[in-house]
Amino acid sequence: MTPIEPLHVQLLAALIFSIGLAVVLTRRNIFFVLMGIELMLNAVNLSFVGFSRTFSGEMSLTGQITPLFTIAIAAAEACVGLAMVICITRVKDTVDSDAFSGMRE
Amino acid sequence: MFQGLDVGLSTIYFLLFGAATAACALGVLCSRHPLNATICLIGTMLAISGIYALLASPFLGVVQVLVYAGAIMMLVVFVIMVLNRARDHEVPRIENWSYAVLLVPLLLFITFVHTLTALPAETLKSDPGSLRGDIAPIAKSMFDVNQGHGYWLLFECIGVLLLVAVVGAVLLAKRSLDTPVEMLTVGEEAHDSH
Repeated sequence: MTPIEPLHVQLLAALIFSIGLAVVLTRRNIFFVLMGIELMLNAVNLSFVGFSRTFSGEMSLTGQITPLFTIAIAAAEACVGLAMVICITRVKDTVDSDAFSGMRE
Repeated sequence: MFQGLDVGLSTIYFLLFGAATAACALGVLCSRHPLNATICLIGTMLAISGIYALLASPFLGVVQVLVYAGAIMMLVVFVIMVLNRARDHEVPRIENWSYAVLLVPLLLFITFVHTLTALPAETLKSDPGSLRGDIAPIAKSMFDVNQGHGYWLLFECIGVLLLVAVVGAVLLAKRSLDTPVEMLTVGEEAHDSH
């Protein structure tokens, strides 16, 4: 039914995951770190859907249901993460992630 | 929706969506202002939802557009605009020593490619018996307890988790917990003096 090679989907997912990891590791703005995490979550979802095409019957649906839960978890993560960014930015007055290193204050 | 596409056309669509996804992801890495990166990230989400539709999971593509490109990215844009100190010339984009850190994702990508290409061909073969992810089969597989275990308990847990996350976010982002009481007393004083 789908003529797209699952290998190509996996390669694309690996590329997006690597770019997301690069964003998380190199950028200092805290918003970029959050967006890098979203990129990595998207890459894993894409990988799930790509692998679900290699199974038949009910197993192929399982690979498409798991990303639904991952998307809900990502929504909760973005919600709490952005609230923490607002909270810390009020105290520190910057969005530089190096300033967010202290656990006290 | 894409079921009627022939092999060549869907390959062209996959190349287009894949190139758009990779280009927008690189745009997130290289952009200077967070709002530009947000637009690039929304482009990534939309292109990935197109790939979901090509992979015969249209429901997941719709959810991706609704939740990711709609709700989550709207929240990110809103917070960046509210804080309004997201200018990246205050925060350096990439420090010089950070270019060395780029080796880590590069090595990870090389490892991924090596592992995937070393897999035997029948592991990564498209199965013609795989089901198309429309709403009806996904809902049946999620909630029908008669035919299997179902995912309803996980579904309820996700609902509770989202509720707790929203309450926690409101408590974290409020300026202080007794702000409404102060506002209330100020209002009452104003009412009394009036």
